[in-house]
Amino acid sequence: MKRSIYISFTLLLVLGITSCNKSWLEPDPLSILTPQNVYVDKAGFESLLISMRKNLKKEMYENRNPIAGEVAASDLAIPIFQIDFRKLTPNSDKFWKYLTFYTTAYQCIKDANVAISRIDDITWDQEQDRNRILAEALWHRAYWYYRLVNSYGDVPWIGQEVQDAKLDFQTYSRWTILDKIESDLDYAVQWLPVSAPAGAITQGAGNMLLAKVSLANTDFDKAIEAATDVINGPYALMKDRFGAYGDDPAYNVIWDLHRPQNINIAQNKETILATVDRYEAPPGAKSAGTYSMRLYNSAFYNAVAKDSQGKHGTIDAGGEYDSLGRGNADVRLDPFYEYEVWAFGDQRWNHTTDLRRSDINWTDLDEIYYNNPESVNYGEPLNPKWFASLLDTLQANYAMPTYITYVPQQSTGTPYGGNGDWYIYRLAGTYLIRAEAEFWKGEKALAADDINAVRQRAHALPITADQVTIDFIFDERARELFAEAPRHSELVRASYIMAKLNVGGYSLNNFSKKNYYFDRVMARNIFYKQPLTFYANTIFMSPYNALWPVPSDVITANTLGRINQNEGYDGAERNAPPVTDPIQ
Amino acid sequence: MAPFLTKPRLWLCVSFILSASVVRAQTITGTVRSAQDNQLLPGVTVQVKGTSRGTTTDAQGTYRLSGIHPQDSLVFSYIGFNSQTVPAGTGSRVDVRLTAAASSLNQVVVIGYGTAKKSDLTGAVAQLDASQYETQPMTQLTDMLTGTVAGININQGTSASGGNSFMEVRGQTSLNASNAPMIVLDGSIFNGSLADINPSDVKTIDILKDASSAAIYGARASNGVIMITTKTGRKGPPTIRFRAEVGMNEAAHAYKPYDARQYMQFKMDLLKGWGTGFPNYYFDNPDKLPEGVTLDQWRHVSANPLPNNTEEWLNRLRFFPTEINNYLAGKTTDWYDQVMQRGIKQNYDISVSGGSDKASYYWSGGYTHNEGIITGDKFSAIRTRLNLDYKVARWMDVGMNTQFAHRDLGAVPVNLDDMYRASPYGSIYDSTGHLKFYTNGYPGSPNPFLNPYNQQISKQENDLFATLYANIDLPFGIKYKLSFQPHYIFGHDYNFWPSATTLMGSVTHTNGFGSRKQTREYDWILDNIIHWNKTVGAHNFDVTLLYSSEEHRYWLDSTTNENFAPNENLGYDALQFGINPSLYNNDTRATGDAMMARLNYSFMDRYLVTLSVRRDGYSAFGQKNPTATFPAAAVAWKISDEKFFHLDWVNSLKLRFSWGVNGNRDIGAYSALAQISSNLYYDGANTVVGVYNNSLANPNLAWERTASFNYGLDATLLHDRLSVSANYYRMKTTDLLMKRILPAITGFKSITSNLGEVDNQGFELTVTSTNLQHANFSWRSNFVFSLNRNKIRHLFGDYESVVKDGKTITREVPDYTNKWFPGQAIDRIWDYRITGIWQLDEADQAAVYNMVPGDYKGEDVNHDSSYQALDDKQFIGYTTPQFRLGLRNEFTLFQNLSVVLFIRADLGQMTVFPNALHDETSEYDRRNITPAPDYWTPDHPSNEYPRLLVNNVAYGGGLKIYKPSSFVRIQDLIVSYHVPSYLTDKAHLSNLRVYASVRNLYAFTNWPGWDPESGNKPMPRTYTLGLSFSL
Repeated sequence: MKRSIYISFTLLLVLGITSCNKSWLEPDPLSILTPQNVYVDKAGFESLLISMRKNLKKEMYENRNPIAGEVAASDLAIPIFQIDFRKLTPNSDKFWKYLTFYTTAYQCIKDANVAISRIDDITWDQEQDRNRILAEALWHRAYWYYRLVNSYGDVPWIGQEVQDAKLDFQTYSRWTILDKIESDLDYAVQWLPVSAPAGAITQGAGNMLLAKVSLANTDFDKAIEAATDVINGPYALMKDRFGAYGDDPAYNVIWDLHRPQNINIAQNKETILATVDRYEAPPGAKSAGTYSMRLYNSAFYNAVAKDSQGKHGTIDAGGEYDSLGRGNADVRLDPFYEYEVWAFGDQRWNHTTDLRRSDINWTDLDEIYYNNPESVNYGEPLNPKWFASLLDTLQANYAMPTYITYVPQQSTGTPYGGNGDWYIYRLAGTYLIRAEAEFWKGEKALAADDINAVRQRAHALPITADQVTIDFIFDERARELFAEAPRHSELVRASYIMAKLNVGGYSLNNFSKKNYYFDRVMARNIFYKQPLTFYANTIFMSPYNALWPVPSDVITANTLGRINQNEGYDGAERNAPPVTDPIQ
Repeated sequence: MAPFLTKPRLWLCVSFILSASVVRAQTITGTVRSAQDNQLLPGVTVQVKGTSRGTTTDAQGTYRLSGIHPQDSLVFSYIGFNSQTVPAGTGSRVDVRLTAAASSLNQVVVIGYGTAKKSDLTGAVAQLDASQYETQPMTQLTDMLTGTVAGININQGTSASGGNSFMEVRGQTSLNASNAPMIVLDGSIFNGSLADINPSDVKTIDILKDASSAAIYGARASNGVIMITTKTGRKGPPTIRFRAEVGMNEAAHAYKPYDARQYMQFKMDLLKGWGTGFPNYYFDNPDKLPEGVTLDQWRHVSANPLPNNTEEWLNRLRFFPTEINNYLAGKTTDWYDQVMQRGIKQNYDISVSGGSDKASYYWSGGYTHNEGIITGDKFSAIRTRLNLDYKVARWMDVGMNTQFAHRDLGAVPVNLDDMYRASPYGSIYDSTGHLKFYTNGYPGSPNPFLNPYNQQISKQENDLFATLYANIDLPFGIKYKLSFQPHYIFGHDYNFWPSATTLMGSVTHTNGFGSRKQTREYDWILDNIIHWNKTVGAHNFDVTLLYSSEEHRYWLDSTTNENFAPNENLGYDALQFGINPSLYNNDTRATGDAMMARLNYSFMDRYLVTLSVRRDGYSAFGQKNPTATFPAAAVAWKISDEKFFHLDWVNSLKLRFSWGVNGNRDIGAYSALAQISSNLYYDGANTVVGVYNNSLANPNLAWERTASFNYGLDATLLHDRLSVSANYYRMKTTDLLMKRILPAITGFKSITSNLGEVDNQGFELTVTSTNLQHANFSWRSNFVFSLNRNKIRHLFGDYESVVKDGKTITREVPDYTNKWFPGQAIDRIWDYRITGIWQLDEADQAAVYNMVPGDYKGEDVNHDSSYQALDDKQFIGYTTPQFRLGLRNEFTLFQNLSVVLFIRADLGQMTVFPNALHDETSEYDRRNITPAPDYWTPDHPSNEYPRLLVNNVAYGGGLKIYKPSSFVRIQDLIVSYHVPSYLTDKAHLSNLRVYASVRNLYAFTNWPGWDPESGNKPMPRTYTLGLSFSL
């Protein structure tokens, strides 16, 4: 009996030790942060801003990045491996990011919405911290919506942090969204700082975006006002040599302006906003590179570059290969950008005072050499008449604006275009935005002044007021802002303005059938004028391709609401009218 | 063979002659062994036929009977074995080997926190006797389960480490949580890898299939429970067993890359279809120009042809200089031959077991070394086990079951994509004998051998699992068991990619790249079990109570570095010499507790009832629902024991019915919480950390619950020669744990939620029969058949109105992204129905869809001249087998030679065949492609496979091509010979057995790829020779 008492006691003891206490089943997150322990102070919100700034780098780094895609789908170039826009469907964008940019932009909007929704969840020591952080978050949200409405037209509006399963999104009118982000930016520019570290948002960047948004929203006076605020701010067009290469007499200020190492330095007064991307940053904090040489340069090293004996005249090694890079012609520049757009007065591309087309800044056909030491033509310029077919020049031989694309590969890897800073907004762009707003208002003289400010810095001949047309403004944007501003989006923005103002025979009713974007691309881009076939694709574009398709998986996953497809693409027949109620 | 044929005849003659003469009674001795594993059998009844005289075998399996006349017959009988009658004859020794009975109603079956006689089971439990598989070579114990048990679905793994690629019991109940069954090892829940259990230590495997039997494991049992029992020592002197196996692995079926001739043809067909502006003959071989084309014409299509026609032709085909040189030199590389290998497989096991009245022990050690069929694939493991039990006092015994495993997973197999991309005219080595980075000079086709040869790797897993227990007898017949199960797993994965010899260390990273990852896991479970068994008259009560708690902890440390200076010589051993370090930690902790009560009640040993209830708590669920309760009940009726039951040919018949609820908690430890990830950012001066939300919280997250019914029947017929077990079940899973897909514009892909309902029903049949039973020949077979049908009843509970066939109907909103449809099976294939390939005379019809001849022709359901994502997809098949069959035949000849033939069939499923969609890329002119079988060209108008540059973007919802992957496979053929003891006794060996086997001998199938079971990976065929003996 004694023994059984002893055993029972032991038993009770063991059960007692392990019996449930309330905290036993509480989750114990060890290595993860949760909203409950991060968004509790200023530091948490500042960390959100860090992510938003980094998000901007999704635009212009890595292969086939959105900005390059914007150029490829424009009057300046063709997306060489996807020249058949019939193959751009809600399900497939093949090599480019015309579909995935949609969700990329919304991911960035999500991060901004977290800060915006939670801004009053904590007590702020300094009210201006709250307002500054809110202002920057509103700026980022506006930035991505501006990009969305000019790539996809009407899109869903998400203005709050999504905290549970939401599947009833609706498409909002592009104009309603523009109204909302315009008023958000009105608030933001009051609180954004005048100066900020590289990559952070200043009042200047706020006004620049406000100018673009107001312009898109046909609010021309406000666009002029915001742009003027920038122009009168702490910025100046760079007219003198500066920075790296500044002492090298072979180059000029335009070359200096576009060197990645010069973009964010203090001497550069032209930068309003630029990304920071440095090779010395730790993994994860730097991109895979600009890919600028890969995307925009020709594949001159390709085996199709035959010499006079029909042999391989070029190789992928050596100094020329390192400085031009392993170009792939993903963004195949067209003769309009290479040559025609530089014609002004009696000047032509090869005899112009315009520094942006100066010999030192471009690598022209006579400067691309046979670099195979075993070739009899070693050192001579590539000669297309020795190629098997002229079509081979499409990828392998064309002139390149190396003053923009030249970003040496710092790593030992393939020279695609290494790490480097890149402009988002530059004062020259502000002048051209103001010029456009002035043009729509009919203030052609003012518009000419602004355009001339940009032209004169580049030593280009000035224009007169009566020479200002919307086409000229976009010509000037091509000359000044190549691979910098989202070309396709800006053209779509102007297309909407013209449709809304009913100028040039355009209207909003038949936007998918007739628009300025399509007409200008067809008029300027010679490739679309001939039945070009490359890599089993035959070049083709329709007016509805002005707007890109909405990914079908976004539409199908939204099971309780209707997200509209753009006219012309499969699924548009299910569309519901977009929401036009003002967004609070 | 001759001696074996003659020996029995001789023996019969002798006995005939002797029986005719009058010989006086004598004493006979002998041993009785199990024919299966040759173990000595103690306690076998030996009786003189027709008399009451007899004895039983002792602990060593020997017997002695005196006063036996030559004309007497001896009857050997033993529970679980077929009785055997042997004429006594005139010799003084009669050794007998008994074969196991097909029906094994008295077999003891493990039922979770206890055992039961099979005849007393109320639930659906399948048992596998591992001794049947002793001659089947195995890397992992799942090799025993592939196709052999009705209702357990396992696909064979293909890598050297063996194992399975997929395992589930009955059907798929969960959409997103794991469907893998729970593992219980020697009565303890085992969270480790099955790879850590040495198959040769396993005595039995019991599979708890229905809810009632599994319900005692409540929260984790909805996918069934696999209970593994390891060997223990028996009373007696030490027995030492040894086994050695060597073998060879090769690919069971080849899916070869294009060889040189096919590569040329591919290049020509590709470029002709590319629209280059040249006439087709531009790409033709100048020596084989089409009729009407002169060489001069051919040459002058090019503005600037080379003087040498062959070189000009190769240039036109966009050959790289390396390829041209190799072509002209007549050199080609057979990549299949280079990459695929014959791997050597070795396996050695030794064990020592024994015991006394108070103690028993079993120790084993095993070593496995296995080379895979792809260059670079290898695996080795050392596994050891110690099982001890010691009776400390009359009322208490203590013991432990401990296993330790060390697995070496450090292997870098060739990436088969690289094999397929390599040009047959490329070179592996450069002129200095070093591996080339790019075999033909093109960066899109890296050398397949770079990483296998040059990546430094050390990857090991160590696993220590112990069950420490004490069994204590308490007053009133109560038994108490305290069991503590610590489980410690530690592993590392170190890698280094040098810059001189790998792309990872030079192109992807600079000056070398290294990574070190270390993981540790510590789990413990503490079980308190009270057991009470009482018989009162005809009533028997068996009560089990459990209280258990557990904790799971996991630590991960990961570091990488790159850009090493002054050099990379120290590899992964010294990552501090790099200049760009990064680190990552991930620690998790999860806790749980459980209470369980079970009553087994039987009346007159004929009416059986089981009732159980379990309450589980787990920390991963939303804090609103941390616990859940899982009840179960079962009844069985041994109808054949009733007085009214008189059927001579039915020996036993039992009917079973069970119901129960099980749970599934297999989600990440923090799935209910919103999580924030970090974002490293460099602002030009400092590195700073950004944050962003990467998952959504769900405080209401709760257990997935499966309620199931099981109707079962067990019968033995025809004097126990035929045994049949059949089950029909219905399962209903609710509150499914699933990742609900969100529109990507939320910034999240999905949210972990409880939604919907999935129903499963199925049928399982197991028939075991002794087809022939003669002294010198026996044939036994085991046939299993199973089918499972599932259906998604509800998904999100959201409804929509759609017009279908002219009528507006309200239906539940499907999940198009995951392709889940209410009313359809989870594995239902929803895609376009491909009817063929557009042919040349259909160019106009194809053009309507923006396609050209050679593209896929599909059914346009709504005839709207486009292939829409939602309207034109149809239900076209299933991805999982609709029927599974297995037939194991075992033939024994002359008691010494046995042949096992196992045939398995998975029928009715389809699998994605990605090689049918070699759609256009901008690289095909520079590298080889994965073979596109029988592709369409204008001259070869296939109606099954499309042209090389097939355009499928016209299929708005994305197109996948499915091909039937049903198969019938001769999975195992094993021949083993048991060397007679009179040959081995002198060497003091016993049970010497030699055997030879082939796994995956042949598969009958229409599948166009590697293997229907593994889909798009090569399946090994393994030849093995083995030897085992005892001392």
